[in-house]
Amino acid sequence: MSNKKIGVYICHCGGNISDYVDVEKVREAVAGEPGVEVAKTAMFTCSDATQQEMLEDIREKNLDGLVVASCSPKLHLFTFRGVAKRAGLNPYQYTQVNVREQCSWTHTDDPAGATEKAIRLIRAGIARTNLTEPLEPIVVNTVPAVLVVGAGIAGLRAAVGLADLGLSVWLVEKAASPGGWVAGFGKMYPYDRSGSDLISQLTAEVKKRNNITLFTNAELVEKSGSIGDFNVVIRVNGGEEIKANVGAVIVAAGFDAYQPGDGEYGYGTDGVLTLPEFKALVDSSDGRLMYQGREVKDVVYIYCVGSRQPEGEDRTYCSRYCCNAAVHAALTALEKDPGLHQFHLFRDIRTYGKFELLYNQSREMGVRYLKFDENEPPVVEKDAAGKVKVTVKDLLTYSEEVEIRADLVVLVTGMVPRENSGLTDVLKLPVGRDGFFNEIHPKLRPVETVVDGVFICGTCQGPKNSAESVASALAAVTQSASILKKGYVELEPLIAAVNPELCQWCGECAQSCPYTAIGKEQYQGREVAAVNRAVCKGCGGCAPVCPRNAIDLKGYTDAQVRSMIDAFLKETG
Amino acid sequence: MAQVNPEFIDEVKRPGEFNASACMNCGVCTAVCEMGIELLPRKLFRYVLLGIKDKVLENTETIYSCLLCKMCEVNCPANVHIAENVRSLRYYINKKVYNL
Repeated sequence: MSNKKIGVYICHCGGNISDYVDVEKVREAVAGEPGVEVAKTAMFTCSDATQQEMLEDIREKNLDGLVVASCSPKLHLFTFRGVAKRAGLNPYQYTQVNVREQCSWTHTDDPAGATEKAIRLIRAGIARTNLTEPLEPIVVNTVPAVLVVGAGIAGLRAAVGLADLGLSVWLVEKAASPGGWVAGFGKMYPYDRSGSDLISQLTAEVKKRNNITLFTNAELVEKSGSIGDFNVVIRVNGGEEIKANVGAVIVAAGFDAYQPGDGEYGYGTDGVLTLPEFKALVDSSDGRLMYQGREVKDVVYIYCVGSRQPEGEDRTYCSRYCCNAAVHAALTALEKDPGLHQFHLFRDIRTYGKFELLYNQSREMGVRYLKFDENEPPVVEKDAAGKVKVTVKDLLTYSEEVEIRADLVVLVTGMVPRENSGLTDVLKLPVGRDGFFNEIHPKLRPVETVVDGVFICGTCQGPKNSAESVASALAAVTQSASILKKGYVELEPLIAAVNPELCQWCGECAQSCPYTAIGKEQYQGREVAAVNRAVCKGCGGCAPVCPRNAIDLKGYTDAQVRSMIDAFLKETG
Repeated sequence: MAQVNPEFIDEVKRPGEFNASACMNCGVCTAVCEMGIELLPRKLFRYVLLGIKDKVLENTETIYSCLLCKMCEVNCPANVHIAENVRSLRYYINKKVYNL
């Protein structure tokens, strides 16, 4: 029936599995399956001793298929593929069956049912293994160059980092000059160096390096190819198009400041400013603050404008930089005018890390903080004599309603995703519910995206301060260099394959592909579908739509899936 | 409605040593206060800091009922000199209210 020789190993997981699944019964039930040469149980299949036992079995009994029934493949797929490889067996002839998360942990109330389910799952795994073929990883040679989109503090720093690793950099900036937001900042915390000074230093570093090419008034308009070998088109000054070949793309496209709606906390009235507008006013004043020719004596800040909205609104997130920026702005303003009265109306103060010292310092210097309830936000109204009247209930005096007549009201606005639809379309970048670009894993893969070879960093990914933006930019540098310095990448071969004999090119598959991995090629004088092996993710979306069954997914062929279903349905007795 | 007078804190500060800026409103002072009067001392200082002058002047009796025992002061995590601040307030009231 089967000419395969398969080894099956069932794990106790030290009781995690065997407390609910009768592993010995499972072993007996699957030992007679077609192709099974060896069926064993083990206390921990991932232990060195059991791995060694598998290695010996594979070698001595000439096994050409391996099934381990243990935990999730997320945990140990690569462990056991490694065992197969060390024993001289093709790693893609290994199948992992998850009897822990899918049986013992989920059916603690039904050990008999858990055992039966384990038997069926393992039978399916054996059936699939019977039809596996040896596969080799796809090797793609990489181009030692990187496209960096955005020349703010993150993009500039990334460019310098990449150049110093010996990679060529194409740095593309939409604005007329590099520097982004930080170029417009005055003194920054800590050390009081101005944003414009930091940017001048970085642009000077960029200019020193011959392997960085900076384009301003430029945008990325086309991208084709795949990880390690992208072809990109950069449009400069809205006309001239420049083509480049790069191995990776780093997106550092930045953020927009939240723009309050007309009338939101009085925005639009004379004397009501956003935080960026106020910072510009403070940075540009020589001594005492002046606004519309009047001296500014009393300033009210309102926090969380446009951030931390209730569930169901657009911006439920905390913008995280704004508390720090507002406290810092207050201290900068006090340096210009020590007599200034400043009232901060906040929901919560989140001056994390070192910024807590700024918050303490500001209180000690007389900056006053009033906590309001999010359900009773402050009310801002135009007042006579060029003043703005703010009324708020101060929670810390048991909701005493207080009225402040201010010369300026500063709306502490957060970060919002920049309008980047063109870039999102070109790169096919995933956007999260908050509207910022999404990483694969927030902790372990924080700058990688689902598009292989395309990385994100800085505030296009979510609110960050400049130090955090630079840290993530350098993470993106490391991740792209780790691909490009090796010279090649290895990709999973579990992807779609077209049978050109059957294909008649109707285009259905290409339309169904979410990664644009399917194109056309010539085969014996006619057009057939062709899969770009480096772009295909093996999702399988194309296989069922093909009217001629000309597409199969390697590792999960129709024949394999059918045999798995048959195995699931066998009586367990 | 309580009116904020931004200059009030400057008036109180000038003659004496009133300084409660480091206060983070934890309320330990009020919890340990022997007098058990709601206003003393956290809320009183908050009115001063916010510049709610009327509330301060309405409560001169309370300000004089403080025993200056310093229980609050030794327990203050922000090291505010609470008793000294009460003295400065009394100094201010003596001058402005009682014209002494």
